[in-house]
Amino acid sequence: MTSAILQAINGVSLAALLFLLASGFTLSFGLMRVVNMAHGAYYLIGGYVGLSIAQTTGSFALALAGGGAAVVVLGYLIDRFLIRRTGENHLAQVLLTVGVAFVLGDVALQIWGGDNLMVPAPAFLKGAVILPGDIYYPKYRFVLIFLGAFVGAVLWLLYKKTQLGAVVRAGVDDREQVNATGINVDRLFVMVSALASFLAGLAGVAGGAFLTLYPGAEWEILVYALVVVIVGGLGSLEGAMIGALIVGLLDAYGRWLLPEFSYFVLFGPIALLMLFRPRGLFGREH
Amino acid sequence: MSAAAIEVGALAKVFGGLAAVDGVSLTVAAGERRVLIGPNGAGKTTLFHCITGTLRPTRGSVRLFGRDVTQDAEHRRTALGMGRTFQITNVFPELTLGENLALAIVGTDRRKWVVHRPMEAFESVRHQALESLERVGLEGRADQPAKLVSYGERRQLELALALNTKPKVLFLDEPCAGLSPAERQRISKMIAGLPRDITLLMIEHDMDVALGLADRVTVLHQGRVILEGTPDEVRANAQVRDVYFGHA
Amino acid sequence: MDRTRIVLALVVLAGLLSLPFAAGPFWTGLATQMMIFGLLALSVDLLLGHAGLFSLTHASFFAVSAYTVAILQVRYNVPTALAAPAGIVAGTLLALVFGLAVRTRGVYFILITIAFGYVVWGVAHRWSSFTGGDNGVTNVPFPAIGAAAITSHTQYYYVVLAAVILCGLGYRLLIRSPFGLGLRGIKASETRMQSLGYRTSLHLYAAFVLSGALASFAGVLYVYYNKFVNPVAASFPISVEAALMAIVGGSGTIIGPFIGAGVVLGLRNWVSSFVEMHHAIMGVVFIATVLWAPQGLVGLAAQLRARLARRGEHKR
Repeated sequence: MTSAILQAINGVSLAALLFLLASGFTLSFGLMRVVNMAHGAYYLIGGYVGLSIAQTTGSFALALAGGGAAVVVLGYLIDRFLIRRTGENHLAQVLLTVGVAFVLGDVALQIWGGDNLMVPAPAFLKGAVILPGDIYYPKYRFVLIFLGAFVGAVLWLLYKKTQLGAVVRAGVDDREQVNATGINVDRLFVMVSALASFLAGLAGVAGGAFLTLYPGAEWEILVYALVVVIVGGLGSLEGAMIGALIVGLLDAYGRWLLPEFSYFVLFGPIALLMLFRPRGLFGREH
Repeated sequence: MSAAAIEVGALAKVFGGLAAVDGVSLTVAAGERRVLIGPNGAGKTTLFHCITGTLRPTRGSVRLFGRDVTQDAEHRRTALGMGRTFQITNVFPELTLGENLALAIVGTDRRKWVVHRPMEAFESVRHQALESLERVGLEGRADQPAKLVSYGERRQLELALALNTKPKVLFLDEPCAGLSPAERQRISKMIAGLPRDITLLMIEHDMDVALGLADRVTVLHQGRVILEGTPDEVRANAQVRDVYFGHA
Repeated sequence: MDRTRIVLALVVLAGLLSLPFAAGPFWTGLATQMMIFGLLALSVDLLLGHAGLFSLTHASFFAVSAYTVAILQVRYNVPTALAAPAGIVAGTLLALVFGLAVRTRGVYFILITIAFGYVVWGVAHRWSSFTGGDNGVTNVPFPAIGAAAITSHTQYYYVVLAAVILCGLGYRLLIRSPFGLGLRGIKASETRMQSLGYRTSLHLYAAFVLSGALASFAGVLYVYYNKFVNPVAASFPISVEAALMAIVGGSGTIIGPFIGAGVVLGLRNWVSSFVEMHHAIMGVVFIATVLWAPQGLVGLAAQLRARLARRGEHKR
């Protein structure tokens, strides 16, 4: 198995993780016009909470669920008491949620400290797989890909094939329309928001079992997710999927071929996109 | 033969599956005053936007004084002599009336790029702005923020802004919308008093104002031109009456 | 009212001039920092308060110019007379490239600037052979041009003070000029400006580059003060802080960003003496400002003055 293919698998596994984070972010924006810069902090907090749960109960499944749930609660509180008050003022939202992220980051630092921590995952998920050519490859990367694909498939089905999904899609297209049909828009928003939060927390636990958690990780992952969303287009689920793949693969190949300029490899596509399609691949005029 | 001021050729604008404008051609001669009328949804504002550059047409062409401007950005059309007002008042609320006008005055020349002298230092700009305010009946209010001025007065400001871009052809989108009868009188008098070398294309719902100001009238219905003629011809036409009051 | 303003300005100026002697080296250093970051905040505010563009990448220009100066002076022994302008040029060149972002608006613009900022931070962080990685570049000397050489922090304080006053005066001209008014017009209604003949994207691009140049200048001042530069200078929190300073102090004014810098840095200094949570403090200030004082301290002061004036009228 050639290095190129190995790097591709690396890229896809990162893409899976990024998709978990970006999908929630992009749907929140598409439906509720909310830009939540604390999404990265949600990832971190979810990961840390999952870590503590795994350490005390020994169950990875519980950690995944608990990390997600914790962020759902946290996200709800932040949304209800803080974000709601900014209306559709995106500037205010960005500032407010950045502030929230800073607070969460420091709180996490106080509770879990500054060392690199890894969420303990069960043995059958870790270890190595032997690929053609006698190459030892981390099994967990395939776990991530599986998780990403699974969530992607579920979201896709929900979004495209269910009535709920149809309502959300209509809302992304035209919020007034949804309001007019008498559907409880508030509850819809809360549900989508909760889903986004859950995915962020889940991503934190899943990612934290492989990439480790540390102060600053919340911003690094957020930026990647932002690039995914920029490339894919705000509000588009397909955009989040394709964008995640593009970013994941670019990052993997960038690290392999030009390790000192790997961030620069992200710059290329964004710059090109600015020139030809400022709204991203699947974005619309909002 | 001098080029017509405005020449629209087989223009169409399609949104999704819907043709808001469905093959409209019209020619407005230099100095002419043309009014576009038609019921709601006839496509008047969409047509306007395509001619002024806010939207790009799906098909067809737009020429201003013989120049093809179909794909040109709005600011280029303004540089060629286009001035316009908006249906929904579009002034600068946080800026004073004087500043509003100053922006319009320097918008079409190189002075807008000056970075090292304050705007106040440009005597001619201030002079022109004050003159403009007087002409639209807003004298003495140069230092008031636009958001504190009444709706009718903001509409007057809107017109003053368009007039200060050195327009050769003026596009007015429902200039009397939302105004009291007295204010309507005032605006239509102002429009009637404009110099004859400015070509006018106007959308107006108020039939009296429209037919009073127009040299010629174009009637739109469902994205197509159904009649073009003098105000009297339009007034007498049965089809137009149907479209507005009946069953078309 | 104007008389009061002039008197106030003179008092403040007198205070600033006598600070090193009245208050000692610690406060001199802090004041120097406040002026440098105030300048960075001012550069961000040119876009935010006047053009309506919220850029979160200005630390990039700040850091690129700081690194350029540091590398030139420390590694290649290039004198200040060449290194300092080179720094400004480097930062401005980057702004010419990043200015591509003005093809977008609103949220997209914000997100793209964040991504751009991370690219620079990432390069500073990973290209260790050139940038020194996490350690950065150290031992940057004080600036020296020909015979005039700075030898102390007190002297440098006055250099920065003079530089900031000059920048402030230039900035004042800029925002009162037709170009500056044009930016405010674009912020108020871009469609209107286009129909008045303005090529708005070009205007915004020019503003972006100018603002990048100003941020680069702040970076030059920074590196000579700090005597080293590391990737933190290019980090997201620095860009965010600069925006916060502008907003807390009062966006759209000239003095606001500097007041904001004073508040944020002063607060951090005070708080860090008993707890290591300055990001959280900044976060709280952000939240509080957004929810309760979006016009910043200058705005609050104006509101207070208006209220007092009305009270005074009632009394008569």
